Amino acid sequence: MTRALRSGRRATPAGLALLGTACSASFGMPRGATEQGADIFRLWQIFFIAAIPVAGVVYGLIFWSVIRYRRRRSEDPDALGSQFRGNHRLELVYMGIPILIVIGLFAASATVEVRVDRVSADPDVVVNVEAYRWGWRFTYPGRGVTIVSPPSGEFVAGPQMVLPIGQTTRIVLTANDVIHAFWVPDFLYKHDAIPGRTFVFDLTPTRAGTFYGECAEFCGLNHAYMTFSVRVVQPTEFTLWLAQMRAGQAAA
Amino acid sequence: MSVTLERPVAAQPEEPPHRMGPVERLTSTDHKNVGILYCVTAFGFFLVGGALAGLMRVELAEPARQVVSTQAYNTMFTIHGTVMIFLFVAPFGIGLANYLIPLQIGAPDMAFPRLNLTSYWFFAGAGLLILLSGVASAGGGAAMGWYAYTPLSELRYSPGVGVDLWILGIVLVAISNVMGGVNILATVFLMRAPGMTMWRLPIFTWNMVVTAILGLVAFPPAVAAFALLFIDRRLGGHAFDPLGGGDPALYQHLFWFLGHPEVYILILPFFGIITEVIPVFSRKPLFGYLGLVLATMAIGALSMGVWAHHMFTTGVVSNPFFSAMSLLIAVPTGVKFFAWTGTMWKGKISFTVPMLFALGFLLNFLIGGVTGVMLASAPIDFHMNDSYFVVAHFHYTIMGGSVFAIFAGIYFWFPKMTGAMLRERLGRVVAVLLFVGFNLTFWPQFVLGLRGFPRRYVSYPPNIGFDTPNLVSTIGYAVMFSAMVVFLADVAVSLRRRVPAGDDPWGGNSLEWVTSSPPPEHNFDALPPIRSERPAFDLRHPELAP
Amino acid sequence: MMLALSAFGAISGTIYWFVTFEPAGTLLLWSFSLMPLIVAGYLVLHGAVRTRTLEDDPDARPDRAAGQELGTFPAASTWPVVLVLGSITVGASLVYGLLLLPVGLGVTALAVLGLMRESRS
Repeated sequence: MTRALRSGRRATPAGLALLGTACSASFGMPRGATEQGADIFRLWQIFFIAAIPVAGVVYGLIFWSVIRYRRRRSEDPDALGSQFRGNHRLELVYMGIPILIVIGLFAASATVEVRVDRVSADPDVVVNVEAYRWGWRFTYPGRGVTIVSPPSGEFVAGPQMVLPIGQTTRIVLTANDVIHAFWVPDFLYKHDAIPGRTFVFDLTPTRAGTFYGECAEFCGLNHAYMTFSVRVVQPTEFTLWLAQMRAGQAAA
Repeated sequence: MSVTLERPVAAQPEEPPHRMGPVERLTSTDHKNVGILYCVTAFGFFLVGGALAGLMRVELAEPARQVVSTQAYNTMFTIHGTVMIFLFVAPFGIGLANYLIPLQIGAPDMAFPRLNLTSYWFFAGAGLLILLSGVASAGGGAAMGWYAYTPLSELRYSPGVGVDLWILGIVLVAISNVMGGVNILATVFLMRAPGMTMWRLPIFTWNMVVTAILGLVAFPPAVAAFALLFIDRRLGGHAFDPLGGGDPALYQHLFWFLGHPEVYILILPFFGIITEVIPVFSRKPLFGYLGLVLATMAIGALSMGVWAHHMFTTGVVSNPFFSAMSLLIAVPTGVKFFAWTGTMWKGKISFTVPMLFALGFLLNFLIGGVTGVMLASAPIDFHMNDSYFVVAHFHYTIMGGSVFAIFAGIYFWFPKMTGAMLRERLGRVVAVLLFVGFNLTFWPQFVLGLRGFPRRYVSYPPNIGFDTPNLVSTIGYAVMFSAMVVFLADVAVSLRRRVPAGDDPWGGNSLEWVTSSPPPEHNFDALPPIRSERPAFDLRHPELAP
Repeated sequence: MMLALSAFGAISGTIYWFVTFEPAGTLLLWSFSLMPLIVAGYLVLHGAVRTRTLEDDPDARPDRAAGQELGTFPAASTWPVVLVLGSITVGASLVYGLLLLPVGLGVTALAVLGLMRESRS
């Protein structure tokens, strides 16, 4: 058996262990608290893992050349390196392999996009989200609940949208004045709100908790102060909350 | 007064270059002078943009801190972006092109010297207007972000004259770029020396050809967009105003059709600089010349088809089309990386200051490129768009890439332009400080973006993960600031106590190293025969000439 | 090269149309395909493509072209500054008041005339 094959066999369990760790590493990104977000998270892992060997090869070549092929101080400053101008086979290889990688990445990306963009025909909850300078209005149509931002300024607690875990919420997004964007980093999802247009997307939360939300398209003076939050609760608690809110607003 | 220029005859006795007075500097149409005007003015704008960045970083260092008003902060990032893109990096590339192209192709000047000077003055005038737009009317300075999305940039939401002055400035920049592009193409197509076929051009010149074409093709739609915006603001139009039947998304299409090729205009000349520097300091010919030229053309062409990857979260474009095209651009860029590493392979690498900056470029730009591939995936971009991840990505490409290449180019060509060497020791300090400072500033911004910190935020709440990266980033800025101080000191010292450079201090490959430093008015007293892309090298090593 | 760029613009524009039916981008890509044709057209019409000039001859010796007059180039000119000042004034008049417009147009016209006269000398 050749030496390469033997060392390859020894390396394989280590390699698999490394891959296993990599597959659970987040590489800095929040894990995605919705089904759509979980898809995006896995796609991020794929892209990051694909980037590692690419960076490794390029950095490896650079560091190797810089160490191995440096001119020693004793050598003549005009000493020449090996005067080859190219290598056609190598050039075709380093063009071909990236094309294959890119095709693979595109396939993964397009598949995830189809899933993330999918809007259910029959969502469990609908929330109308209106963005304006500088706050949000969340309306639960048909349920009689509306939540509006208090006047914005230094990081006052923004409006809170409550959603049921495990059920599909359709967000209907509009803007009243300039372009804003609805972003919940923990959901790994944002969408622009462009005045004159209405956008629709689905969120299916998979984790309970309170998640920070922000405006992610520069909209003028208080752009940074248009924060909001999304609280994800059990469906029973959600129904309770709706009833309380409706009662409170009917009284007001 | 006009001058008749001829192709160089036999070697003539060298006249000592005469020192130009200030008026002559501002009106001479000699391409070398115009090139230096461009580079010096552009560098001045770099310092202005950098100062604005410093103020922003001080503001963001701590959550509670408020050193500038929100309105002022919004104006600062608008002007910072505009200045760095349109008044520093792009004009520096054009300036270097003006200086180098005639020298590299063996011509006595550019095809249209007065047009050259005119394009410089349009750039200078544009710079004045843009700076003015930042301070114009109290509270009405241009504060809509450098891409000026509508409806925010419409009169209703951006009252005052700031945006209007900004539009005028950008239109003048566009005119300057178009003039420069025409000049570059005419010069390269029609004024090459005998034997300088297109396939023997130095790669810097080739890259400028593609950059010039991009400028010619990409600027006009943007000028149309700005004209329409101006009409919307001041002449009763509603092109982009939904309340009048207009469409804000149309603005984005028109803007980004320029906006994306613009960033390739910001990188291609600097790819060219790196491609000049690496072969010289590896003492080897460039690896894969033909592939590199074709890759540059491919990058140029593809860059026209990816604009809406800036619009993935708008929901109005075909994300798969743009995602595919954007991912494809990675391929020719990879070809370039392998050409550079292939050039270093089995070379004799010396670590002069230009080479240090070139190595820094390679290390930084790879990160910029890889993160670009990540952003090219629309679903990933759903999270990352408009976050600090994007800010970090483009700073890794434009600053870690182009600006590092600018410094490589400065250290490489300063001796040719002035006849004096820059200090090697000080240069090494600049290179190390800049590399460390740059990475300290921008690596944490990847973390910020992933954690959910959006762009263009003047402040942030404490204790949600944004504090430490912001602080580290500001410390990095301080390190970069000190690098610039050392650099300016280096320039001052080197001009005062001159160390003569001679014709060819580095052992260069292209034609500019064949003539004196600085070159005579007509550039060349005599030209060597041109048989490859390395005529200066062939002159020194006739035994190896093809 | 010009034809290749033009072809790229036309092909990608067409693919873009059938993928998206989005008019702005399609028009932009098709216009992009027309622009290099302008350059290509000039080069073809002026015979730059057919004739073998010295610069495209890989074995040309530089002294073959020695003394060949390349053209007359102005050494220095103040008119570019004047042209830019005129253009800025025209622009500023659109923002600050149309009173400036005749001034701006006048200065610009002066600069253009100056440049033209300079070319003749």
